[in-house]
Amino acid sequence: MIILQKKHEHKNHYKQIIEQDFLEENIRNGSILSISQWREAKHIVQEQKIDVAVEFSSNACSLSDKDEISKAAMVQINFETFKDGRPFTFAKMLRKKHNFKGELRATGHVLPDQFIFLIRCGFDSVEIKEEDRDIWLELLEIDEGLYYQP
Amino acid sequence: MYKYSDTDKKIIASRVKQFENQVNRRLEGKLTEEEFKPLRLMNGLYLQLHAYMLRVAIPYGELSSKQLRKIAFIADKYDRGYGHFTTRQNIQFNWPKLLDIPEILHELSLVDMHAIQTSGNCIRNISSDHLAGLTLNEIEDPRPWCEIIRKWSTFHPEFSFLPRKFKIAVIGCTKDRAAMMVHDIGLRIIKRKNQVGFEIFVGGGQGRTPIIGKKIRDFLPKKDILNYLEAILTTYNQEGRRDNIYKARIKILVKELGIEKFRSLVEENFSKLSNKELEIDDKSIKEIFGFFRLPPLKPNTNQMPFKKNQEYQYWINQNVIPHKIQGYSIVQISLKAPKKPPGDATSNQMRALAEISDKFSFSEIRVTHEQNLVLPHVSNKELFNLWNQLKIQNLATPNLGLITDTICCPGMDYCALATARSIPISQKISSHFNNYLKQEEIGNLKIKISGCINACGHHHVGNIGILGLDRKGQEFYQITLGGSAKEDAAIGEIVGPSFSKNDLIDAIEKILNTYKKHKINKSDDFLSVFRRIGIKEFKKDLYDNFTKKA
Repeated sequence: MIILQKKHEHKNHYKQIIEQDFLEENIRNGSILSISQWREAKHIVQEQKIDVAVEFSSNACSLSDKDEISKAAMVQINFETFKDGRPFTFAKMLRKKHNFKGELRATGHVLPDQFIFLIRCGFDSVEIKEEDRDIWLELLEIDEGLYYQP
Repeated sequence: MYKYSDTDKKIIASRVKQFENQVNRRLEGKLTEEEFKPLRLMNGLYLQLHAYMLRVAIPYGELSSKQLRKIAFIADKYDRGYGHFTTRQNIQFNWPKLLDIPEILHELSLVDMHAIQTSGNCIRNISSDHLAGLTLNEIEDPRPWCEIIRKWSTFHPEFSFLPRKFKIAVIGCTKDRAAMMVHDIGLRIIKRKNQVGFEIFVGGGQGRTPIIGKKIRDFLPKKDILNYLEAILTTYNQEGRRDNIYKARIKILVKELGIEKFRSLVEENFSKLSNKELEIDDKSIKEIFGFFRLPPLKPNTNQMPFKKNQEYQYWINQNVIPHKIQGYSIVQISLKAPKKPPGDATSNQMRALAEISDKFSFSEIRVTHEQNLVLPHVSNKELFNLWNQLKIQNLATPNLGLITDTICCPGMDYCALATARSIPISQKISSHFNNYLKQEEIGNLKIKISGCINACGHHHVGNIGILGLDRKGQEFYQITLGGSAKEDAAIGEIVGPSFSKNDLIDAIEKILNTYKKHKINKSDDFLSVFRRIGIKEFKKDLYDNFTKKA
């Protein structure tokens, strides 16, 4: 798998899933937390000034203001199916309502035809198979700049 | 009419390229059928019973003669020489081949047409009043607003993968000729304290769960319309059900939450998420309205010509209505000629109509949600001449708004979802009630026929609704009474057990007898009588001594 950040490939710094039992001991730069783990451990993240990602599933995209998601370095949304359009709205909410300024990444079942939609809703990057790189870039090129909404 | 800008043209062209790419990926196996399906649907391509079906968008039902000629060309070259106008003012081709689709889309793009978002779980073609801009009692022409909304909703990055399809209709006066109240969002332009804005309805729809839209806003200033639509769509995209396709429409969400709760969520999104850039300023409103100016019509005192030709007089009486500019008429063309599938037009008819519209109506043609066509600006003195030319093409059937002017879905003759045929029912009705005077005596009456519970034939809102069902391999038809798609929108009530195909006409005759028995005068139409006497009287007359009921 590779990470495409718009037109550029970039390194994946977020890999490690943390086991619940040793949350506090294991948390470090590059950890990927579930939202419940984030709620439990966000004070550590702030104290130790580490970069972690919070992962959501497309069918469980919800947050409250108390979650202080703007303090996470990255949010990753895993599409269970590309037909689930909730992450597009969730992305807007993260940016506009929750003031999230970090990296927003799509993973899971996403189609290259959706690349432009992802970017325009506030996603920065997407995790895809290496062999699909060309088609993702090709479709982005076809669609780029051609839309009506601000 | 709206004229495409360079950006519009580029967007359509890029979509053709993108679809070509998708078809190739499908053929190479890089896209699974499951993945390809929503993508092709968003380009209007369905897989039907026998073949693919391509639905081409006719935004708010407005066509130029040039576009109609192109549609005729496509019907001949890639299909079987005809097309089918739909209840959402679009046109469908029933027999195209998958490999030809990119080429068809390319041909369409040459006349500023496309099939974008005519299907799929996204915001569909914006529909409107087919008399928009033509009548006197209009607050404002709804078409410019349809165009503004069309642009905003096209390839909307956030709302292209909704829980389910999403239909918006806009009207500009108190008369509702667009079935606005049974849309996911219905917008009516109103005036309050000298300010023009929108009255907004939400959660209407037909299908398995027919619901009349609920009012969510009494008044919204014009400039905020896109932000308010975004607020509704944001709420729906987040909260709408995705666990069950039959419960995924916004009407179910509104019903489950209740309109009060739904409204509070929408209003919160509206106040917190509104985007300054989506506000529409007076300058751009004016610019869009510029596209929809009337052609240069000169008011005059010409009357509709009188001829000693009964058929012509029937047609004038039934199909022709006055234009807001004196001396001109609006000519409604029935696509419900006897024995023809409702809403179908052949390529020859389309070409002839294109020419007729060039000659008599400033090259403009409108499509109605009742599957008819309109020539919007015809000089009164040309009416007889025009009638003669329409007649040659079998386009002068005088039955607008009468019992044989049925709405009808394609049914089991084409559709993979249908449980019964609907076109033959419509043909039976049109043969049985062929006589104009007989129809005229019955008066305004809307029969709407669907071949399954998905209700594409609008049976729920027919004054008489007919729903085709399958009973152990036999086609049966359930009748509902009292529905209306107009400003007095109502869902019809089931009158009782269903009828076989052979008993159906007899049942309709009985229903009409009950109506005639209680009719007070000529203007007392079917719906008024139904509302006065209720379903019981009809039930009694229909089922007492009826031996062959199912």
